[in-house]
Amino acid sequence: MTTTIKEQNGEIVAFFEGSLDTAAAQKTEKDIQPLLTADKNIVLNCEKLEYISSSGLRIILQILKAAKPRGLHVSATGMNKDILKVFTLTGFNNLLELK
Amino acid sequence: MITVTNLSKNFLDSDNCRVDALKGVSFHVSKGEVVGIIGPSGAGKSMLLRCMAGLENPSGGEIKRASGIRIGMVFQKFNLFAHLPVLENVTLAPIKLLGMSREEAENLAMSVLRRVGMAEHAGRMPSTLSGGQQQRAAIARTLAMKPDVLLMDEPTSSLDPTMVDEVQGVVGSLAQEGMTMVIVTHEMRFASGVAGRILFMHEGCLLEEGSPEQIFENPRMPQTRAFVQRIRRLEFDISSGDFDFYDMRSQIKRFCIRCSIAEKMGEVTHVVDEMLTLISDYRNTVHIEVSHSDLKQETTVTVLQRGAEVSALDNPDADELAVMIIRGMSKSAKTEQTPDGVKTIFEI
Repeated sequence: MTTTIKEQNGEIVAFFEGSLDTAAAQKTEKDIQPLLTADKNIVLNCEKLEYISSSGLRIILQILKAAKPRGLHVSATGMNKDILKVFTLTGFNNLLELK
Repeated sequence: MITVTNLSKNFLDSDNCRVDALKGVSFHVSKGEVVGIIGPSGAGKSMLLRCMAGLENPSGGEIKRASGIRIGMVFQKFNLFAHLPVLENVTLAPIKLLGMSREEAENLAMSVLRRVGMAEHAGRMPSTLSGGQQQRAAIARTLAMKPDVLLMDEPTSSLDPTMVDEVQGVVGSLAQEGMTMVIVTHEMRFASGVAGRILFMHEGCLLEEGSPEQIFENPRMPQTRAFVQRIRRLEFDISSGDFDFYDMRSQIKRFCIRCSIAEKMGEVTHVVDEMLTLISDYRNTVHIEVSHSDLKQETTVTVLQRGAEVSALDNPDADELAVMIIRGMSKSAKTEQTPDGVKTIFEI
């Protein structure tokens, strides 16, 4: 699992690649630290994210919790069907904009 | 239409060992009948079909075909001509072998393509079609030769599971139109839905034949019973938090593909993954079993927590997100106390 963070068109984009599961959660939690102090809207690029578990969702939740008091907009793009199902089952689809 | 009597076929394999692929097979196919042939791999099903189509010479016995009947064959791999568009794949044989004019052949081709729902793709090249569309084009090509009997060798087994239905739908409508067919298939539900009679083959012999009800619900022979009621299983024992989840996921993937339930792969993986997240204490080994019944089309995941009395799913402190994912990915969950521990059984 790799997470790459880039600034693009005035937004911060996090590119997730691989499987965001329990085994990858600890590393990913470190990798997303810059997003927690961001001052720009955040895009989670999930085009190369293959899988997400509840541990992965908890990391998304951290990002959302940090962004809210800052008034930042968080969106996610390119989710596969399986990940979309996980977001829908847990209500995460209502917590951020899915593009 | 076709009477097979005491058919045998043997050959030498690459090690010069004699293989008895067919050992005295006899049966009859009447006009308008749909016969399904099932059995384990290596039972001689495809060889029987290839002998009936005249693609293999039998070693003994006899195949009597009603005079003048045409036999068409549909293969597992579609064998379309890659350099020709669908329409020309279908018109080729009628022009070359039946001596039709191009116009006549194209009219015929469009009518058979319509029958299999492929008319709008007539101009496309095979490589641009999905597997299901390619197989339907291959069926149209065979139909264009106006066969009296259609032999189909595992017509859906090289297809992605999402495309199996469209091909089975076409075969079902051909059956309703009265087409005589002999279909080798491993899809038991398909066989029982489309065929009026089922032959069960085992080690080169026709072991049992009867109506779908008889073969699937009341098989007489123990081999038939074992085959139709077979439940395939995948098992894991987990005794540490450091187990190889990636290997487990790839095994689940392979298992689901082997059982033709690739569409359930995500659900199975999530249920297993989240249950293991909830358990997180592996001092007593956790046993996981994924099982699938072909006949009932039922897939279950069973998680045995050795030495435990309460399922991790029912723990009041259980992680809510994990529970939501498990509940959403499974149709039902029930728990069972066993002398070994508590079992949580999920229907997927």
